Formats: sequence, structure tokens, C-alpha cells
Amino acid sequence: MSSPFPHLLPSSPLSPSLPLLFLPSKTLSPRHRRRSAVTAALQWNRKPQFAGETPRVVVVTSGKGGVGKTTTTANVGLSLARFGFSVVAIDADAGLRNLDLLLGLENRVNYTAVDVLNGDCRLDQALVRDRRCPSLELLCISKPRSKLPLGFGSKALTWVVDALRSRPAGPPHFVLIDCPAGIDAGFITAIAPANEAVLVTTPDITALRDADRVTGLLECDGIRDIKMIVNRVRTDLIRGEDMMSVLDVQEMLGLALLGVIPEDSEVIKSTNRGYPLVLNKPPTMAGLAFEQAAWRLVEQDTMTAVMVEEEPKKKGFFSFFGG
Amino acid sequence: MTSIANSIYFLPFQSIYSQNHFRDDKGWNSANLCWFRFDSPRPKWICGRSRWVSAIGASALDSAGNDGASVPVDGKGLDWERRINSFREMVNALPPATLVFKGTTPSKSVLILSIAIAILAIASRRIMLKRKDNSYQGSVADLVRRGQLRSDRRGISKPMKYDDPFNNPFVKIDKSCSTVEMFGKLYRLAPVTLTTEQKSVHQKRRSRVYQWKRPTVFLKEGDSMPPDIDPDTVRWIPANHPFATTVSDIDEDLAQNNVYQKDGVPFRVKAEHEAMQKKLQALQNEQRFNEVAINLNNIRDFERPSQSVKPHEQLEQDSSIYQQNGLINEGVDSSADNHQRN
Repeated sequence: MSSPFPHLLPSSPLSPSLPLLFLPSKTLSPRHRRRSAVTAALQWNRKPQFAGETPRVVVVTSGKGGVGKTTTTANVGLSLARFGFSVVAIDADAGLRNLDLLLGLENRVNYTAVDVLNGDCRLDQALVRDRRCPSLELLCISKPRSKLPLGFGSKALTWVVDALRSRPAGPPHFVLIDCPAGIDAGFITAIAPANEAVLVTTPDITALRDADRVTGLLECDGIRDIKMIVNRVRTDLIRGEDMMSVLDVQEMLGLALLGVIPEDSEVIKSTNRGYPLVLNKPPTMAGLAFEQAAWRLVEQDTMTAVMVEEEPKKKGFFSFFGG
Repeated sequence: MTSIANSIYFLPFQSIYSQNHFRDDKGWNSANLCWFRFDSPRPKWICGRSRWVSAIGASALDSAGNDGASVPVDGKGLDWERRINSFREMVNALPPATLVFKGTTPSKSVLILSIAIAILAIASRRIMLKRKDNSYQGSVADLVRRGQLRSDRRGISKPMKYDDPFNNPFVKIDKSCSTVEMFGKLYRLAPVTLTTEQKSVHQKRRSRVYQWKRPTVFLKEGDSMPPDIDPDTVRWIPANHPFATTVSDIDEDLAQNNVYQKDGVPFRVKAEHEAMQKKLQALQNEQRFNEVAINLNNIRDFERPSQSVKPHEQLEQDSSIYQQNGLINEGVDSSADNHQRN
């Protein structure tokens, strides 16, 4: 049967008996060869080292809606702030903004970027500082039901980023732009000031097709540094071959991996509470994965190994007695 | 084995009520006090259930056992037959429960007293156990039960730090670096197989498939195309799009300046303030006149009841004021004339 989407199908299916080599002979860069796979997969016990020029303007995009762009922006942004970096998160969704809800700042948004453009307030007045992590600031592009002036829609965010770059308090380390779904005017506005992109996708064929298209558009626009986050991964389904594995997704898109986020019921709880996952105590699986993705984003690193769930250990007879 | 089981199964059930003559002084061998249940299809051994029987000092089995010991053992079948016989004797020798109780029934008051003591003992034991439980509140076991502490960390005094993103207790990396344990689940690390060649192949494919130029100009559908703009860079926006605001009183340069403004009063606030000030000044000028007019009225209102000012002086003042404002009307003059006449 011929596939309707041939260029996205893997050329060779992933072998189940993947060799346990942590350093394959042909990795992405020589720097990664020297690193152990575990260090690339999980990193603790040290602060990440900032790489690149400030501010790093990162657009979080996907093409398809509902894959977790806003959740990723909120959690990665808050993780970066927890690591000690100053972050400005911009919700570029003009009509359907949600980032303020996920961060629990919806009651504090009085001014937006549209108000700044109109001269109703200054840019620093429109930035909403998170009280939990003061190094995180939120800027919404517009209020729901309000409209952005047509003439400078695509330039608005470029001006905002330029203004942030030259602000008296110093430029922020990161400007995270939460891109709206689709490839419409909102997408064009969001990617205009970006230097790098984080592509969020889920391991299903619809999201992958959109992700491939968006990646193509980003590359056409000159954004070459594109990394992907595979969201809502279920290891039990992958084990039963009911879901594409992360490596399958990577083989289809040909993008470097920034993170793999497992499916977690805590995500919906945190969304409802307006309390990002990374602040949860005790931490959750998805929260830890977002933290790790943020870590790699800081260091401009990528995953060189992914975690595959092992069969649970068979308990011996004496395990009942604590053995 | 099956023959033995069948033979046991076909043992005749004998009522204990007709065996009261077996109640003698002979003791019971408690080691052999294993009962058969015949109500189930397969016979089952139920051992140690008949403790009350062991209270009877004498056993009839001893004699039976002695008899059995004298019988030479020819084989397995004979041995089992002997055992079955002895068991049958044992069953026959079992005294009926009612008679046993009849013989040793204590008085009613003693029975009640013993039951009361038993209940009291049970109640006191319960209370003691409850007190013991209360004394352990706040222990490590409670913390484990409430999810504050993991059971495998008992005895480790160092508390878990959730605040520190650089020290996570839920992640345990194997010494050999081949596996990672997260949240109790074991993960093996599989290497990423994407190569730079594959990556470049994908990039070439995408550049071939998707040829796109980012639009820089947004125009509303139906608008005319400006002459100096490349048509490839135009994005046509539908009228119901959030970007499709047509009325914009500020131009692009002004908007850019607004974004770049770092301190001071924002443009619109300043403009509105200035406009308000001008309006206020105009209003104040008007209000000055109005105030005067109101004062005049007030004076007139207060004139009659107070009668403090002479009418002639008041009229002269009024007329001079009206002349200054150029608002002398005939009505006023006529009233003044009326006052003068009076």
C-alpha cells in the first residue's frame, strides 16, 4: 500500500533490538562524542552554562494545535527562570491567548503589546513579573477580542524584541515566543524576530505532517537552529508498537531532539491550577522532562540518547520480606 | 492412593448421640486428632480444630493403638485399614458435646462472670492498643503513609529537596550509566541514530518541497496593492482576522517610538493629558463666567433675607459687572430701575 505521505515514513523501521551503544559512530557533532550518553540524557548537580548571545529569541511552534506549545513555553520558561536566567515569555496568539492562564497570571495582565504600540503604556509597564520566579516576565500581544493594527502586525514583535535588547536593566537571557497554531499571520508575526525555534510535536502522523511543513517554512525564513520536543509520549504504547517511538519521529523529521515529554495526568491538573508542572512538589515525570529540555536549551545541547522503558524487575520470593 | 481416599469417603457416618456409653476414663491421643470432612467431594483434613476434645484426659485411642501395634504390618493396604479402624473407633469414642457440657456445666452466675471478664479484657486490650497507636503519631511511618517520605528512604535523616532543580532525589543513575531509574521505573538509554547526513537530506527535501517567503506586508482582502511592494511579500488578511483592524490613528513610526520608549509618560497618556488640560482650560474660562453668574444669583438670593447691603450700592455693583461682561440686558435694567424707583 502506497503511503499518502511518503517522505515522512521511515525508510527503515527501527529495529527492536537496538544496540546499547551510547556513542554511535556518526553523531551530530564531535563535541557530543566525548560526552557520555547519560550526561546528555539527564543532567543534575550543576548549573547549566549559558551558550549564545543575549537575548536568545526562541519561538515555540508546532503548526498543529493542541500539541503543547503553550505548556512547553510556560514550563520551559519557568525552568529557565528557576535556573537563574532572566526570561521574557511572549504570548503571540492575538486572538486566543492562554499563556497567562498556564502561568496563573491572568488577573495581572492589564496592558498588552497592543497598548504599548498605541502608547497607552510603556513596554516595561506591560511586562507582568511572576512573583514565584521574579526573573520571568510575561507579555501578551493583545487582549482577547481586541485587534492588532494591520499595518505593523508583523513588525510589532520585532520592535518589542529590539526594545528588550536595549532596555536599561539589561537584555533578558531568553525571549520565548509562544506561537499560535497554523501558519497564518500570527505565525508570521511570531517567527519574525526569532533566531531559533523549538518545534513541539506529538508522535502521531497528523502532528508530524504539520511539523514538517512548519519546519520547512522556518528554514525558508532563515531559522536554521530548529530543535524538537516530542510531547505526550507513552512508553507503554510504544512498547506495544501502538505509538511511534521518539526515534521514529526523529527519523521522519530529521531534527535534533531537545526533549521528550511523557504523557502525564499532572499536566491537566497544573493547567487548571495555573501552576506550572516544574514547580510541583514532589516533581512529576513531565516536569522533570521539561526541566531537562530547558537545560539543553540553555547549553544549546541536544539529546544523544533517549530513555526506553525497561521491563519491570521480577521480584524474588524474599522481596515480600524486603529482600 | 485413590482406593484409600475412596475407602475414607465411604466411611459410614455415625451419630455421636448413640455412643454415650463410650464415655469412659480412657484418654485421647491429641496427635491423631485430625478430622475428616465428608460433605465435600474430596475428603479434607482439618487438624487441630477439636481442642476441646484434648481436654478430656483419657484416650480411647491408646488402647486401640496398642491393639494395632500387635497386628503385623503386611503392607500398605493393611496399614491403612488399621488406621481407618482406629479412626472409626476414635469417632465412636467421641462423647456427645451436650453430655460433656451437661456433666461440667458451671453455675449461671459463674458463666456470666467469666463472659463479663472476657469482654472487659478485650475492651481493655483495645484501649491499650489505641493508646499505643496514639503515641506513635508523627513517626516516620506516618510520614511514609502521607507520602512525605518514601519508604525506601527510611533511616536517612537528610530530607528530600524538591526546591533544588540540580539535586533531584527521584532520579537515580546507574553506576554503569546504562540505565536510569526515574520514579521507580527503570529506563534503558537508547542512542539517537540521526546523523548529520540524514539531517541535511531532510533539509534539502524540505527546501525543495516548501518554497516560501515570509510576508512582510499585511493587506486586508479587497484592498488595492500598493505600487512599490513585491506581491510575494504580501499577506492577505481576511476581514474577521484579529489583525484586520483598519482604523489606526497612529502611524508606524509613532508606534515604533512608543515601543522603544523607556521612561516618561506614554505617548497616548501624554496626548490625552494635554488634550484634557486644554479642554479644562477652556472649561475654566467658561466656568469663570458661570461662577460669576452663579455668584450673582447667589447674591441675589442672599440679598433679601440678609438686607445687609444697601440696595443702591448693590445695584451699582451689579450694573458695573454686567457692563464689564457686556451682558447687560433689559430685564436687569428694568429691575434696577424698579429698585431705583422704589
